[in-house]
Amino acid sequence: MPMLNLLPIFAPMQAESTVLTPPLSTTYEAVIGLEVHCQLLTNSKMFAADANAFGAEPNTQVSVITLAHPGALPKANRVAVEYAVRMGLACGSAITRRNIFARKNYFYPDLPKGYQLSQDKGPICVGGQIPVRAKGFDGTLRDTAIQLHHIHLEEDAGKSIHDIDPNATCLDYNRAGTPLIEMVTEPCLRSADEAGQFLTEVRRLVRYLGICDGNLEEGSLRCDVNVSIRPKGVTELGTKVEVKNLNSIRNVMRAVDAEFRRQVMLTETGGRIIQETRLFDADLGQTAGMREKETMNDYRYFPDPDLMPVVISDAWLANIQAGMPALPRDLYHKLTTQYGLPDYDAALLTEARELVEFYEAVCAETPHYKAASNWLMGPVKAQLSEKNLRDRQFPVSATALAALIRLIDEGTISQTAAQTVFGLMVEQPERSPAELATAQGLLQNRNTNDLQSLIDGVLAAWPDKVEQYRKGKKNLLGLFVGEVMKKSKGSADPKLVNQLIMNALS
Amino acid sequence: MPYRSFRSVQADLANGTTTCRGLVDDYLTRIAENAHLNAFTEVYADEARQRADELDGRRAENPVRIGRLHGMVIGLKDVLSHAGHGLQAGSHILSGFTAQFTATAVERLLAEDAIIIGRQNCDEFAMGSSNESSAFGVVRNAADPERVPGGSSGGSAVAVQAGLCLASIGSDTGGSVRQPAAFCGVVGLKPTYGRISRWGLVAYASSFDCIGPIANTPADVALLLEVMAGADEFDSTVSTRPVAAYSQATLPSLASGGRPVRVAYLIDGVESEGVSPDIRRATQGAIDRLLAAGHVVEPVSLSLLKYLLPTYYILTTAEASSNLSRFDGVRYGHRAQPASGAQTDLVEMYKQSRTEGFGPEVRKRILLGTFALSASYYDAYYTKAQQVRRLVRDETERVFANYDFLLTPTTPGSAFRLGEKSDHTAETDPLQMYLADIFTVQANVTGYPAISIPNGTDSNGLPIGIQLMAPPFAEESLIAMAERMFKV
Repeated sequence: MPMLNLLPIFAPMQAESTVLTPPLSTTYEAVIGLEVHCQLLTNSKMFAADANAFGAEPNTQVSVITLAHPGALPKANRVAVEYAVRMGLACGSAITRRNIFARKNYFYPDLPKGYQLSQDKGPICVGGQIPVRAKGFDGTLRDTAIQLHHIHLEEDAGKSIHDIDPNATCLDYNRAGTPLIEMVTEPCLRSADEAGQFLTEVRRLVRYLGICDGNLEEGSLRCDVNVSIRPKGVTELGTKVEVKNLNSIRNVMRAVDAEFRRQVMLTETGGRIIQETRLFDADLGQTAGMREKETMNDYRYFPDPDLMPVVISDAWLANIQAGMPALPRDLYHKLTTQYGLPDYDAALLTEARELVEFYEAVCAETPHYKAASNWLMGPVKAQLSEKNLRDRQFPVSATALAALIRLIDEGTISQTAAQTVFGLMVEQPERSPAELATAQGLLQNRNTNDLQSLIDGVLAAWPDKVEQYRKGKKNLLGLFVGEVMKKSKGSADPKLVNQLIMNALS
Repeated sequence: MPYRSFRSVQADLANGTTTCRGLVDDYLTRIAENAHLNAFTEVYADEARQRADELDGRRAENPVRIGRLHGMVIGLKDVLSHAGHGLQAGSHILSGFTAQFTATAVERLLAEDAIIIGRQNCDEFAMGSSNESSAFGVVRNAADPERVPGGSSGGSAVAVQAGLCLASIGSDTGGSVRQPAAFCGVVGLKPTYGRISRWGLVAYASSFDCIGPIANTPADVALLLEVMAGADEFDSTVSTRPVAAYSQATLPSLASGGRPVRVAYLIDGVESEGVSPDIRRATQGAIDRLLAAGHVVEPVSLSLLKYLLPTYYILTTAEASSNLSRFDGVRYGHRAQPASGAQTDLVEMYKQSRTEGFGPEVRKRILLGTFALSASYYDAYYTKAQQVRRLVRDETERVFANYDFLLTPTTPGSAFRLGEKSDHTAETDPLQMYLADIFTVQANVTGYPAISIPNGTDSNGLPIGIQLMAPPFAEESLIAMAERMFKV
């Protein structure tokens, strides 16, 4: 819970500047648990019909419900419930059928009702896991399943903005009431890399499921980490410290490392770790304690009497299940088996749902699966990251890319020329690859008569080499082909040239 | 003389003896003449006149196509949201607040051509049994202006009693409609929990709060219930059961082959020392009349009676402590101004605004509720009270397995003197005030419907009420029975 008068106090310098000697990092292990908040991409809010969208003018998505006017009542958003269930199903969690929302009472200006509607007992998803492959603190890769404690549904608070007016805090209630799921892991992570891999996987999952845009910078995906340390071999948990203010996966990883180091150093220098909330300072790469007036908040949870329990019937659950999109692991399997792709390709292509969907669309029109994969992993991905295409469609259609692959396969254009054509396709998506190749004079010359005269010229210019070739120096073939290609200004079909030269010299 | 039933209003409107405008003008005159009763906190004189003219025009145009409440002049307790109008729940903390939406119940009254004449004084946030905790000052009982009208819907009951409007819409969390109705000699109905949407009702205790009508006759409250009740997409706790024609409800008479009605009466209501002798006598009189009419009337006792008030106060204050958190001075209503030169501090702003904005009764209940929900006492108070609430429901259900109605006096005493139970400087026991709700809270703890109708007067000439309670959603028979007893 954020308090208003929070001044970060920096921990003593010597603790931060002391270098961790290698034996210490092998003496202690980190015990890490994550709390991940995902803003759900529903059209309306968790308990009101107000629009739920990022980036609107302040206080334009606020109804009497959001602003907690007297007499206003909440009404649960069923789509948000479905989204939470999707995540639970994707993680193999047990789905709670009777969902009760509780009031978490505290005062803060960005919390209009004076309580947050959340799930205290009986979260919508219980248990479940997310498999990751990550490095431990010792640097070795291991496959591990991150165990979830639960996933619960709740509403977001508004935003307090402290940097507009020097004398006042401004409040924007657009975000107030935005549906959130909070995923809470068991304290089963052991390294910063595991935390990073887990978050990457969560982000990929929510995007696949279409329930959250997974944007840490904009805060639609937020992560708090709980870190404690213990000597290796000990099973009891140490005192945990919560670290907040983490706005990227990299910072989550940095914070875990920094906090682990701080706790080890503190312990080694005779200090005692206290249970507290610390903020990560990305510039300094350190965590700093928060000065809190109250040690413990009593949230006085009780079931909200304004809401009836949301009951998920068998039929509703079956419906949600039937509407589940394919998950990354299913598609990975499909790519490696049905399309025969190497693991590397499958992993890359399943990074984003859009990518693999595009891939499958291309493969629907070409049998050259590996070629399609190469195109996606190379030029397509490069284009995607070069242009920020998050908000608009990738201009080249799957059909056009398949057509381009066909042109190469038929020998109509060369690989090199295809790269040029692809660049043009991005700029002029309305024109077909064949049209573009023709207009740019990039079609390969497959006219045997034309090529034969070029070949005759080259062979006549290199009589001694021809002699050597005939005596067995077969690797001179490349020289002849290269010369012919040069003379054709790259337009000749190298395969055909190859064939014709061999015929001429046999 | 003011009209005492909607039927007579309708008859005179139909035969041209009066007009909506005439009615409104009469009520406005009486409101002005009875300003000392302090029943209204705001009167919408111009708006009501304008609406009356409009309605008269509509009737002239087509006397058939008029709403079911055409010509009914209604007052709203100051806890019902009415777009464009002030809404304060009798509290300073909402000073200057204008409602931005209209409660579903009020919306439905307006759709049936009711005329809203003003908003009515009440105990602050509907917390009280005497209407002495309002920021707008005390309301006086028209039967004796030195006495309280009951609460919390005191202004609403007095307005009907004194003929300042034909009907009022109040709210009942522990008896706030029935107890003042009894004190003022009018009819008050608390429907089944969830029968009327709470959208637009300022919350006191959400799982207890019910909107309820106050009028001169059971038929009038029945019609109002019929208009206001029913499903509403804005309240997820409202019932979707179809709404019966409550205003047409009848019980088959014994003569026409109907079975005798089985009435249980609470033995404490006629025997307990805590109930005034006049009220015991009046209640016994009602029992005797029912017996004489051939009904089955038998005594029952509730083993959990003594737990009703503690259960009620723990749960309602717990819910209230949370419901009233939104009144923090941040977005609307009263905000304390820092002393000149003083630094604005958030926590200080909260404390000051709420201390200045809330009166002592509300502050007391917020503190009680916060305590009941606090981690160290949660199980001992909140959880325990929830368990008792379930037991009370079970026991009440067992009573209704054998009976159609449960009969009690509405209150243990009649209207008391102003200050008699609320003088915080004198050695008054706040529990004495809370005991005024002893017979009414059961219906709120269980969610059952109950009605209070007049049952004579005491030796001081003060009104006495009698209460009938029925099983959930049995409003039809409850109203029919009340109608029958009312006529006797």
